[in-house]
Amino acid sequence: MSSAGFELGGNHLTRRRRVNLGMEMLAWLAATIALAVLGIMVYAVAGRGSSELNLDLITKQPIPFSLTNAPQGLSNAFAGTIVLVAFATAMALPVGILVAVYLNEFAPPSIRNGVTLILDILNGVPAIVIGIFVYGLLVLGNGQSGFAGSFALACLMLPLVARATMEVLVLVPNSLREAALGLGIARWRTTLSIVLPQTIGGILTGTVLAVARVAGETAPLLFTSSLVGNKPSWNPAHALQSIPVAIFELSESPDPKDHARAWAAAFVLLLFILFASLGARWLALRSRRKLTAR
Amino acid sequence: MPKLGSLIRISAVVAAAALLAVAVVGTAGASRASHNGTTITGAGSSFVSPLVAQWVAGIGAAYGYELQYSPIGSGGGIAAITGRTVDFGASDAPLTSDQFNACNGCLQIPWALGATAIMFNEPSVPNLLHMDGPTLASIFMGQIKTWNDPAIKKLNPKVSLPSTAITVAHRSDNSGTTYNLTDYLSHVSPAWQAQFGTAVAVNWPVGVGAKGSSGVAGVVASTQGAIGYADVAFALKNHLKYFAMKNASGFFTTPGSRGILAAASSDQKPDANNALSIVNPPKKYPVAYPISTFTYVIVPQQTAKAADLRKFLFWAVTKGQAGQYTAALRFVPIPKSVLVVAEKTIAKIHS
Amino acid sequence: MSSVDAAAEAPRRPFTGRRVRFGDLVLQLVAGAAALATTVLVGLIIWKVIDGARLSLSKYGLGFVTRIAWNPVPGHELYGAASFLFGTAVTSFSALLLATPLAIGIALFLTELAPRPLQAPVTALVETLAAIPSVVIGLWGILVLGPALRDHVEPTLHSVLGFIPLFGPKGAGPSVFTAIVVLTIMILPIVASISRELFLGVPHELKEGALALGTTRWEMVRGVMFPYARGGIAAALILGFGRAIGEAIAVTQVIGGGVFIHWNLFGTGDTLGAKIAASYQGASTNLQASSLIYLGLILLVFSLIVNLAAQWVVRRSARKHGIVRGGRA
Repeated sequence: MSSAGFELGGNHLTRRRRVNLGMEMLAWLAATIALAVLGIMVYAVAGRGSSELNLDLITKQPIPFSLTNAPQGLSNAFAGTIVLVAFATAMALPVGILVAVYLNEFAPPSIRNGVTLILDILNGVPAIVIGIFVYGLLVLGNGQSGFAGSFALACLMLPLVARATMEVLVLVPNSLREAALGLGIARWRTTLSIVLPQTIGGILTGTVLAVARVAGETAPLLFTSSLVGNKPSWNPAHALQSIPVAIFELSESPDPKDHARAWAAAFVLLLFILFASLGARWLALRSRRKLTAR
Repeated sequence: MPKLGSLIRISAVVAAAALLAVAVVGTAGASRASHNGTTITGAGSSFVSPLVAQWVAGIGAAYGYELQYSPIGSGGGIAAITGRTVDFGASDAPLTSDQFNACNGCLQIPWALGATAIMFNEPSVPNLLHMDGPTLASIFMGQIKTWNDPAIKKLNPKVSLPSTAITVAHRSDNSGTTYNLTDYLSHVSPAWQAQFGTAVAVNWPVGVGAKGSSGVAGVVASTQGAIGYADVAFALKNHLKYFAMKNASGFFTTPGSRGILAAASSDQKPDANNALSIVNPPKKYPVAYPISTFTYVIVPQQTAKAADLRKFLFWAVTKGQAGQYTAALRFVPIPKSVLVVAEKTIAKIHS
Repeated sequence: MSSVDAAAEAPRRPFTGRRVRFGDLVLQLVAGAAALATTVLVGLIIWKVIDGARLSLSKYGLGFVTRIAWNPVPGHELYGAASFLFGTAVTSFSALLLATPLAIGIALFLTELAPRPLQAPVTALVETLAAIPSVVIGLWGILVLGPALRDHVEPTLHSVLGFIPLFGPKGAGPSVFTAIVVLTIMILPIVASISRELFLGVPHELKEGALALGTTRWEMVRGVMFPYARGGIAAALILGFGRAIGEAIAVTQVIGGGVFIHWNLFGTGDTLGAKIAASYQGASTNLQASSLIYLGLILLVFSLIVNLAAQWVVRRSARKHGIVRGGRA
């Protein structure tokens, strides 16, 4: 607060204070803009989707080019997303945990740095390129399927799960491992029964965040699971509709009712992602408190 | 704290389970209503998609088939059937010889007859405004930029035209409807033929690109002053106005059953690959609508689903042409001569 | 090993060595296989993309990258990536330009200006912005933002700044400008949250020292926090840029699919990702499909460069400050 030795008359200080005030106002403005944009979007999604936000949305199937006013919904998309995300998690979770375990418990530093770099590279590959990749790998010659779609989503989830697991594995104190080894417990037993259970909270958090991220992904599913039927299907051997792809297709339609259904589906998707993200953060806070309280 | 934590955890699990249960029951309830029959999958032309959408219920009732169709555009349909990722493809653009080779033993069967409407969004102007080929070509080439251009005025002397800018809406994907339109424009405008030609996608000089016929309808519906093209069913469904086009006889005709049927009579003989071209019919068809087209289904000659496909396609070209499916969408039952050829080709599908 | 240990172990485990090692070996092998599989996956991605682009690569070589063309007419087929590269560059750089001051402003607000009780909720809200799926932002872009920009913002900008070719006559809704705004919204939270973490990491002594010398808060930020966090912010910007160039879905929904290079922000355009998303399903010839994958290859190469650049910047600044950054925010 003291201005001794820094002012040449009163003007400089006043000007500096004014500049400071201006900058602070700009910062407040920036935050307000960000929150305003968020608010506008959430308001738009909630408001515009409200007319189609009913049970029909998840129980009735879509009727493309309907000439009557028969009730329609997006039941195939809801069923498909559940299946796609479930299978993607089943593919990515074990591999992600194992990679993290290997990097943290067994790998020499050079391999750890190398594979960590590989994981970061995988994280940076655009989702659309993953879509092209899986198309070339699994769809060409065999047709689209829920498996191909899930595999593409799993490629996106893998780095997230692996990184989350690594972050909590590091938090488990080495003294725990050494104590177990000192007691004569095998290394693999130590890892599976002592170290990993400590990290369940962090792994859960990472998985929930990865699921939230991948539930809204469109690009990888465009070429792997988009030639779909209207009836809801739980069979991943065939291409399955998904909520983001449905929203994508409905968004370009001229029919205002299609738009309303897209908004409603977006609302449900947003709600799910919000709950998942907030829930994961809360879980992370609790498990970190538990771990570091030691 | 532990009590609160476990309470929250339990309620979260219960909520998730409840949501899942509702979803499963709801969707299971929806699927209970259908038969446990064979699925026939197809993809391609969005031009014919309104008609195919109406067929789903009919074919389900007739044979218990579950028809799945994805309107990804004619180009996509050809690619899909070539890669055998679907059971049939649909295209308004007849296959080129290269595409036939790539498809490796595919049959091309005309299965519907319709027309491309040139739709527009300009509230101050009446429906069925007059338009002719050369003027339309100039619009799509970007040479005519406003509604009150003298060329449009000449065709509509009694209508007061606004100075709104014209926004062209065209397809961004490979489209048989684009093929139909560009085929017509190439016939009526040498400049178009020289610079752009006939294809499922061209180097559009101006305008906004949209995916699918519904995408183009969407751009037209939301942009004042827009002009776009799609199957007339899309114009009807979205209450969009469209032009009355001047045909070779000098009459301004509309994409209705009379105009389409007259156009169809201008080419009654499918060529070796069953393709027909009925754009810009000559003078002796005074009521013909000049941007009409047949549309084709592409199937492999040999396929495991041969029996089902034959049943489905026979139904489509006969019962599927009935008024209950076609009339409201302005599709016209295919003429007898074409029907005979179609049925002969369908019979060739074997396993 | 002391005699006590030996005595404790001997009766319990006569076959110590072999049994323990087998279980360890299995776990190490399985976990190592997972790590190997991940490496193979990345290699496979790169290989498959190159393989898919092979037809177009052999036909056009590197000239593809500089050609302004996309003519799918059979018999006259000619493809080139230049207009999409231009579109990607313009939209991503512009989005970065708009997002950077906003993001840094938000980060400063959250670390320096926000009252204590507001900090956590506002941080959570900003990160919620990051969680919104791109297709939802694209939906909002097509149906709300696009028409609003077209009907209100673009005419105003054109009438005031129309002499600059950037602000030409208004378009039909889908435009480069709408895409830029959408991308800005998408990269804002990433840059903001990384910057926030960086600002939180500036040592208190440095900040308080400057304030004690009589600087205003802004002068302290400018003189202490920015230089300290410079490397990390650079990395954040690079990461945000990487996110922008890879975004395909929201951009393809709002950009209108134009093929030409022009300077009017209110006209249509296209980017690498958006073109692939729009055209891939319906590619009618092998050459067209291969050219689209070639676009994907270019996109992949740029993403890799950007990613590695960010890593390098992070590592350099971490070394400077003696901290090791584990994961990102």
